[in-house]
Amino acid sequence: MQDAVLMSPVAFAHALRKPVSGEVNGMETALSFDAADVEASRNKTLSICDVSNLNRFGVKGPQAANWLQTAGIKLPETTNSWTPQDNGSLVMRLGNTEFLLEDRPENDLTRTLNDTAVNQGGVHKVMRNDAAFIVSGELTPALFSEVCAIDLDGATLEENRLVMTVIAGVSATLLKQTLNGQSVYRIWCDGTFGPYLWKTLLGIIEEQGGGPVGFNFYYSLT
Amino acid sequence: MKLLQCPINGIRPLSEFTYGGEYRDMPNPDTCSDKEWAAYVHYRNGAPGVKKEWWYHGPSGTWFIAERDTMADKVIRTYIAGQEEAK
Repeated sequence: MQDAVLMSPVAFAHALRKPVSGEVNGMETALSFDAADVEASRNKTLSICDVSNLNRFGVKGPQAANWLQTAGIKLPETTNSWTPQDNGSLVMRLGNTEFLLEDRPENDLTRTLNDTAVNQGGVHKVMRNDAAFIVSGELTPALFSEVCAIDLDGATLEENRLVMTVIAGVSATLLKQTLNGQSVYRIWCDGTFGPYLWKTLLGIIEEQGGGPVGFNFYYSLT
Repeated sequence: MKLLQCPINGIRPLSEFTYGGEYRDMPNPDTCSDKEWAAYVHYRNGAPGVKKEWWYHGPSGTWFIAERDTMADKVIRTYIAGQEEAK
């Protein structure tokens, strides 16, 4: 039997655009949609990138914070906030006792945690199947004003805060981070809503003169 | 657009919330009479006034209590169950 290769939850929504695809973290994903200069131009205006393939680790329970701290992980102090680790991995605090971690492609923190057996009460691993996107560009406020009921223009996402809200009718987690020196918005939603959210956001993005960019635009794989 | 204050996530449009029914104290099923238990299971108080209600913020999975005046449709305060003193 062949080893299964996962496809991004958004893969079928990508297919019509015939991206250059490749395997990252065991998941078939769109590495680029167009020439680098075209993608750079889109990114300046408004762009969306599928990063569902980044490794994640979810954990919850009354002892989850202690368990993560014992593993040497720096935690956000308050609910609905996030903090980067020294290696660039994100740690999001989704509730008093719930956390989501996401690695950059070159890190293996979440892989290590996923492989670690939990032998204590009050710590429960959470299976994740997120669709994850990066949205960036000058016209990002115009995009969110169409699909999101709360005002993201002010201080809502400053100081490492994250927001759980509805984007185009889909429950999503949203934060703003600096990636490669650029301010970008990160979105996570349930994987089964991924194709819908991708198509909806991309429809508005293209109306605004932007478009999709591939995974390689943000992360160079060596 | 109607707005509601989630005690964890702040003010959000009502479309992000789901109504979860009136908050009522459950009688002890081991000690209460059948009449009291039947009243708890089947009866609802529809008279307008200030009610304690369960509400759910979908995107974050937060259940909380809202005290709402159903006559005026005004929410007086919201809090996490068991933490009303803090508000």
